[in-house]
Amino acid sequence: MINPRIDRTTPVIVQGITGRAGQMHSRLMMRYGTRIVGGVSPGAKVNEVNGAPVFATCAEAVEKAGAKASVLLVGAFDLLKAMEDAIDAGIRYLVTPTEGMPVHDALKAWKRCRDTGTVWVGASTPGVAIAGEAKLGFLPDDSLLPGPLGLMSKSGTLSYESGYRLAQAGIGTSVWIGVGGDPVKGTRYADLVPFYAADEKTRGLLVIGEIGGSEEEEFAQALVQHKFQKPVFALIAGRSAPEGVTMGHAGALVHGSHGTYTAKRAALEAAGVTVFGTLNEMVEGIRVRLR
Amino acid sequence: MYLLEHDAKELLRAFDIPSPPGRLLGSDDTIDRGTLPPGPWVVKGQIAAGGRGKAGLIRKAESAADVASHASEILGRSAKGQQVAAVRVEQQVSGAREAYVGFLLDAAGGGVRVIVSASGGIDIEHIPHENIHSALARPDESALRNCLNQLAQKLPPEIAPAVRDAGEKLARAFLGLEAMLLEINPLFVLADGRWIAGDAKLVTDDNALARRKELESVVRTRASAYTDVARKHEHGFDYVVVDPAGEIGLLTTGAGLSMMLIDEMRAAGLKPYNFLDIRTGGLRGETKRLTQVLQWIGEGKNVKVLLVNIFAGITDLGEFSRLLVTALGSANRLKVPVVARLVGTNLAAAREVLAPASIPLHTDLDAALAEVRKHLKT
Repeated sequence: MINPRIDRTTPVIVQGITGRAGQMHSRLMMRYGTRIVGGVSPGAKVNEVNGAPVFATCAEAVEKAGAKASVLLVGAFDLLKAMEDAIDAGIRYLVTPTEGMPVHDALKAWKRCRDTGTVWVGASTPGVAIAGEAKLGFLPDDSLLPGPLGLMSKSGTLSYESGYRLAQAGIGTSVWIGVGGDPVKGTRYADLVPFYAADEKTRGLLVIGEIGGSEEEEFAQALVQHKFQKPVFALIAGRSAPEGVTMGHAGALVHGSHGTYTAKRAALEAAGVTVFGTLNEMVEGIRVRLR
Repeated sequence: MYLLEHDAKELLRAFDIPSPPGRLLGSDDTIDRGTLPPGPWVVKGQIAAGGRGKAGLIRKAESAADVASHASEILGRSAKGQQVAAVRVEQQVSGAREAYVGFLLDAAGGGVRVIVSASGGIDIEHIPHENIHSALARPDESALRNCLNQLAQKLPPEIAPAVRDAGEKLARAFLGLEAMLLEINPLFVLADGRWIAGDAKLVTDDNALARRKELESVVRTRASAYTDVARKHEHGFDYVVVDPAGEIGLLTTGAGLSMMLIDEMRAAGLKPYNFLDIRTGGLRGETKRLTQVLQWIGEGKNVKVLLVNIFAGITDLGEFSRLLVTALGSANRLKVPVVARLVGTNLAAAREVLAPASIPLHTDLDAALAEVRKHLKT
């Protein structure tokens, strides 16, 4: 079972910490409470960023700072190599917000992670957060309120907006996983069903999906297979997108009848999921059901 | 990127995958017998979507006059939300058996799904299940070759060698072009065992575009056929006109939220003009990208109002608003009222910047939409 739980004691490093995104987000993650114990930057000329030591390799970060998890903020064409560096060093929890990872690289990374039992969230993930404990990635603090709702999302912004409105309505999240909008990814909705079923702090589950691919359908199947008992809610973006046009996310591409809104909605509803048409309906529906 | 059949076939040629001789013709080209491949022909409308036969975009022609009349009928037609800008006029292949070979990136399985069938020539969805043979393979050449050899054993002996040979070359193309989907249907298998690609459906990975020179060159030299990809490749963000007759320009960030906004607007009877993921994180304090986008939105003839919707988890809204006001000032093609809905970091500073520019600022999306509606009535 994939277990994405971390907490404020988990030692985290940032690969690519000396870059623009690395500097900014290591600071924001620290401010939220994430225990950033260092960063990795192979050719870096500085010794520390935001007070965290900078190492040349992941092996060094593991040896000297005890890194257990890594947030990778490196370029898309460098991501596979950086992931391999982390895995070789024994790090088994990788969060990769980098957008634009080539899909054939993602297939190779996927295989490495499966073979080594590494939890990989991404690529193009907005991040992971255990509200009130720690966040790995970009999730905005205003959207993070501790609570009973498990949340999984392909999109960053749509989940920020959803989390924000839910928080305004008093509904917080337990474990928030941005699975990312890429077609090949480390963690898919269906992979997390056993975890959310077992997680005692989660009383309901919200899936924010979008058109393209078959993840929502796989997720519906997994719910039935695992006889998932908690209420499940869904929002699916892209109802009105034209066929064959990529709308920002590489995974959000409809071919023929495959990956359409209608097919996803039908599959989810058949598995007992409540699918909402608008954000307002979603907030209201969840509020009523989780009260 | 979903390649047009013509471009896919030209790209596949470099991997020793033959197709019938063909020519690409647009509406400005004159059709004369001398420049066509040997007949009889098939005239195929080029759009990036399946089901072209059913949509009437594929027709057989026995004479050059037929070619001309079919081409003029097909060119300019709309199907599947796309307009046909070119036809491929190709020599007909007759007396061949029609097989199917496909490679599909299997995201859930973490590999490549290899599919073969002796019953090609029709949509894969309509081939009887028992005639389809498929297996999952690792994305490397030897694994794909082994997989194909296994699958080909299940095919009739008169076509198996052709499928095996074609499949091996297609596997190399699939990896070399970093494809997500490569489908040859029909794969014509001639009486003497030779084979030729009747159609080619190729979808490649936009993320790999910058390191695949041959694909980059297609996008560059034929930018008008791949406007969205070309634009993204050049500018680094996504912009798609979703309704040329749309009335509401959208300045939005985030793919998921932008899609959802369009969905909700349409469901409420509003007509958004464009999809946009501007990526505020990529603005880097400059107005260039914003101005560019506003100029594009200005091309929408019916655009009556611009809705700015930004959820700023990280972006500073004060800085964003300053950039927006400057960009609006220099975007001379877009002269419409602006409604802003902003949430997030440094909202107070945004208010100070937008108020003197007479841009109403809302934090509630429904309130912003109500304001947008006011501008549509005039």
